[in-house]
Amino acid sequence: MRQTVLISGGTGMVGQDLLPKICSQPIVERVFVLTRRKDVLPSHRKIEVVRGDVTRPDLGLQCDLKQSVAQATTTIIHGAAETSFSADLSAARAVNVAGTEHMMRFAAGCPRLKAFCQLSTVYVSGKRTGTIREEDLEHNFGFVNAYEQSKYEAEQLVTSQAQRLPATVVRLSTILGRSLDGAVTKSAAIHYALRLFFHSLAPMVPGTKESPVDLIASDYAAQSIALAAFEQFTPGSTWHICGGSDAFSLEQFLEETLQLFYKNRPAWRKRAIEKPAIVNLETFYLFVRSVEELGESVLKNSVAVLKSFAPQLAYPKLISDASTQHVLQRSGLARPEIRDYYPKVIRFLLENNWEATPQEQARL
Amino acid sequence: MPVGVNRHLARSGIRPPILGRNVAKSHGCSSIPLHICGKIDFATASHLMNLGISAIEYVLPPKSLSVRELEQAGLLVSRAEQLRTFGFDRCYISEESADELAQRAAAALLDNCGVRPESVDLLLYAGAIASSHQIAGEHFLSGFNYPATKLQYELSLTRASVVGISQAGCMGLTYAVQLASDFLRSNGEAQRVLCVSADVLPNGVPREILYNVISDGACALMVTRNSPQNRILAHRAVTKGYYWDCIARKNEILAAYFPTATNLVQDLLSGAGCAPADLSMVLPHNVSYRSWEILLDLIGVKKEQLFAANISQKGHVIAADNWINLKDATTANLLNPGDKLLAFNFGFGLNWAATLIEH
Repeated sequence: MRQTVLISGGTGMVGQDLLPKICSQPIVERVFVLTRRKDVLPSHRKIEVVRGDVTRPDLGLQCDLKQSVAQATTTIIHGAAETSFSADLSAARAVNVAGTEHMMRFAAGCPRLKAFCQLSTVYVSGKRTGTIREEDLEHNFGFVNAYEQSKYEAEQLVTSQAQRLPATVVRLSTILGRSLDGAVTKSAAIHYALRLFFHSLAPMVPGTKESPVDLIASDYAAQSIALAAFEQFTPGSTWHICGGSDAFSLEQFLEETLQLFYKNRPAWRKRAIEKPAIVNLETFYLFVRSVEELGESVLKNSVAVLKSFAPQLAYPKLISDASTQHVLQRSGLARPEIRDYYPKVIRFLLENNWEATPQEQARL
Repeated sequence: MPVGVNRHLARSGIRPPILGRNVAKSHGCSSIPLHICGKIDFATASHLMNLGISAIEYVLPPKSLSVRELEQAGLLVSRAEQLRTFGFDRCYISEESADELAQRAAAALLDNCGVRPESVDLLLYAGAIASSHQIAGEHFLSGFNYPATKLQYELSLTRASVVGISQAGCMGLTYAVQLASDFLRSNGEAQRVLCVSADVLPNGVPREILYNVISDGACALMVTRNSPQNRILAHRAVTKGYYWDCIARKNEILAAYFPTATNLVQDLLSGAGCAPADLSMVLPHNVSYRSWEILLDLIGVKKEQLFAANISQKGHVIAADNWINLKDATTANLLNPGDKLLAFNFGFGLNWAATLIEH
């Protein structure tokens, strides 16, 4: 059957690699891109831009438009999210929980719907430590930030409707950049943190030397989502798109980064900038509190970025993708090795002065 | 002023161990310190010669102000309450010049430790700010009126060579101790080096630098061959010129402080075979107690090991803190022979240093 896809979050970090992948699927004939943005208009013969907003009932669509989209849609990929780690819980819930609820209600009105693919994060595991498996759906260990909590709550919503909604949950790890060329299409906290390190504004990170730093390539994420939504779609399944056993340890990550700065910017070496110290959470927060009391805006902003997500490293966890790998390998999709593409990403960031590339419509 | 440490120890019946210079040679130790990429390492021969700090004296002005009074006088950048939470209560403000304070501290040292002035081989005079290195005068040539040579004359240090240390910020006296050790190791006849630091901030400038409350003061100490106490076991220092502009790189300096300090101290301790748990006391530079809480955790030392009392009561006496604290800890009978002490210091430039001492 020919597929008509509705995707939200198509202009976000994942979406920018995912849209071309979806459009390239022979089985897909139409792609509705739900977006509230007016500045970005992806261009492809299969794409139809639908102005809407997941935070509003009926996705903010007029009745006629809603009906026509619902009638046609066979696959929903819900990726729209508030991804800021510093958002407060109400703001995060407004997009991530209410947005998912609105999308699920919409899905209930799609008579031809075959697949609902909820994009989530491996960090719904929050403050859990140890090995996190795909089948681990619930916990009560708490969360590092509102993003994690709201995405967890959204997952709970989706899984609670498993009897009525053919849904799969795709949990993504931290997206670093494209494995092929290191391109970063949208800057995120990880890129900002690397920039702070480069500019001697990252004094410390919480965690242990062994804490895994789980990163993934954006093209691998896009290919995996496409498999999860189409070829390998399985209702009730949960996927871990992550580095897994390929992750750097925190100590390795900092050292590798330092060496790549040296390699790409030989003159940088004479600055003699130290790697951030690895500290326990209590000390990290003591430093954060001190900086916040000082009123130095540059350092305060730097610390604000670090404190919004870095404490996750103080809850070391190995994200297992054993079940996911079983399926992906069967489909011929190999996970790019971090040691191969991390140098490309660092080189890209340095060559582009830490800026992400603008959206690449040409790739569509 | 308390009596000199030497005299105190002599009364206690403690005799200095005697080790000849040949001991160092027999262990294959070099008399030349290693200077590699801004790092200095002389953990080698100094302890075998019993190079150490045999006496310390310091002078603080009689006038002191609380942080509240400083705030009312417009001499703070931050709020007084904020500085109080960082561990500061008051600071000392001098109406004397830096060279006058230096002379009083050095004279007290010579008097209390019973050293003949003409037996001093070298005078190292440190000051963090430019005004500490000249006797003020109208004529441009007064820029050559050096307090160090004036001190040599006033104290009759007739045999002493005289050198000023003027571009090491709050590290001046620590560098003086290090250079004194180098000098004694490489000059077989030399017996002692008088190290002095003095700074007085210009009248009316804020008493707060990078969230630390600054005191005027002077400190003098004697680095001696065959010192009966305070043997210098090891030392590390690093200078990072990237941060030379302390105004433009203020944020980077604040961020660089902790990781560099941590690596330096860990390098010092591991090189000397000393575990953090082996330290009896940490002699701080008197910057905010909050920053010490963080650094102590980073280097794995308990907060109880920090000699912290002077942070609130004396403030940051520029280059003199570590050694004032060593003096006060000794006077308060908080130290026992053989105690391992860590003195950590930091100064604009940007410089970090750590010294391992055996009391």
